[in-house]
Amino acid sequence: MDMTEYKDIVVYIETADKSPVKVGLEMLSPARKIAEKKGGKVRAVLIGDGIRTAAQKAAESGADEVILIESPEYEIFHLDRFANVMESVIKEVKPYAVFVGGTQDGKDLAPKLAARLKTGCASDVMDVKTEDGKTVYTCPLYGGTVLQDVVMETSVPQIAVLRSGAFKKSEETVKGTITEKNIPAADENIRLKIKDVVKEISETVNLEDAQVIVSGGRGMGSRENFELVKQLADLLGGVVGATRPAIEDGWISRVHQVGQSGKIVAPKLYIACGISGATQHVSGIMNSDYIVAINKDEDAPIFEVANIGIVGNAINVLPVMIEEIKKKKEAE
Amino acid sequence: MEILVCIKQVPDDSVEVHLTEEGKPDLANITPVVNAFDTYALEMAARLKEAGEGEITALCIGGEEARNSLKNCLAVGADHAYLVQEDRFDGSDSRGISHILMCAAKKIEEDTGKKFDLIFCGKEATDAALGQVGAELSEMLGTGVITNVIEVEFAEGQVCAKQETEEGYRLIETASPCVLTVTKPDYDPRYPTIKNKMAARKKPIGTIKAQDLSVLEPEKTGEGGAFVKTLKLYEPPKKEAGIKIQEETAQDSALKAVAMMADAKVF
Repeated sequence: MDMTEYKDIVVYIETADKSPVKVGLEMLSPARKIAEKKGGKVRAVLIGDGIRTAAQKAAESGADEVILIESPEYEIFHLDRFANVMESVIKEVKPYAVFVGGTQDGKDLAPKLAARLKTGCASDVMDVKTEDGKTVYTCPLYGGTVLQDVVMETSVPQIAVLRSGAFKKSEETVKGTITEKNIPAADENIRLKIKDVVKEISETVNLEDAQVIVSGGRGMGSRENFELVKQLADLLGGVVGATRPAIEDGWISRVHQVGQSGKIVAPKLYIACGISGATQHVSGIMNSDYIVAINKDEDAPIFEVANIGIVGNAINVLPVMIEEIKKKKEAE
Repeated sequence: MEILVCIKQVPDDSVEVHLTEEGKPDLANITPVVNAFDTYALEMAARLKEAGEGEITALCIGGEEARNSLKNCLAVGADHAYLVQEDRFDGSDSRGISHILMCAAKKIEEDTGKKFDLIFCGKEATDAALGQVGAELSEMLGTGVITNVIEVEFAEGQVCAKQETEEGYRLIETASPCVLTVTKPDYDPRYPTIKNKMAARKKPIGTIKAQDLSVLEPEKTGEGGAFVKTLKLYEPPKKEAGIKIQEETAQDSALKAVAMMADAKVF
């Protein structure tokens, strides 16, 4: 197969509430890097209804071309329909690679496309680089204690699911064009029927953009004690995070989950309260600038990554910290 | 109702995996277990079976040691178990694994004369959390796939499932056969009773080899057939550990920590 004719990078930019999701715009910077090496263009694809503003945003965030597919039929995400649209765009553009953001729906769309296009797919990609003319993707194994570099040079397009928060949004101000495409929903390969979309959790939690995150784990002991975590977060103008056990015990809703199966975060300050530091959690907080950990077990793995580790029961330590920080803030 | 549950044996994910001096994952002292999401899938399948009727078949690709995982499945709801045991399948990527599962499912259907109505998988594995097999397998089978399932109903050839989302759930319907990938539901998987454990020990585990798979395309499998090729494994750089504070009282520790945080200007 002559690979040199495949140069472009297609970036699927998912929208939520008619805005591009964060990882959607983040992907444009690695896409730009690879497109430049290949001598190709970055072509973003947006599918939805009433998302022209989102398309404009993408065009201003580093895409050479934004392919906009709008129809009321695409108002809500439908795996089969969106896969059909992407398949037809990809077959026309003939890209070298397709980047999809690591959201829940992105993680479904990518392997579906890979199967249809008979190509490879890398998941949870944390880094993209070029080595000897090959595009190398770095992916975590075993919750992140081991990293794996993979290549997919024997098939096109190579598909990669990029991890949210792993790439910095491009500072470039390339003014891309917007191409509207009319791709009606085909009946072919439509197997699912979405009967209902239910929002149970109305709060919006932006862990990914937070400057300060205070998280609680099993060591908080109870829902009542978990309030201390919320108090400290409020005091610091931060967002509340949690580990899976704290969520499974019902102390807080799952939108607050930080870690491999939750949100990957990169705040300036991360305070871990009663969190032992399982790999699945730690791998999600490694990009934090400053980590403070409170845990009663002095051998807890969380201390290996903390700038400051307080050995003690978070339930006793937190009230003192809250009072002291209050005092210092008032003194300012 | 015939149910197939695809399981993967993985190293216990509560233990940290590191590399050996040769740069291979050091799994020697880590207990192999059934992937957590696959145990949720099996439990969901078992509840569905108990509410109606039918049988569950567990299917695994792996080495001899994976038999133990299949035995465990037989003790908590599976009626039959098959192991695809073939060295040349080692190194397959998700496409290869999905292809082998598809071929094995067809082979079991040929042998038993039954047709699977529902094919369950975990939403992802805990060792390599790719989450690709469900979607790939459904494309190969030409069926629908519902992912991140937390509840499922099956009646008259129609499947209705609750797919967990960040903000709530979607209610999705599809015709059987179909593929369902399961995430953590509200309940935990059951523990085997002694009686079930004993019974499971006596049940046979079928062995499937490459030559048994009538629709196998060997060029899609193994390291040679993988689209995704591994260049190297390595450990991420360790973050330098900071200062540990352990004063006489929690009060003193907290005050010292806040003073240090103030010096570092982090709030």
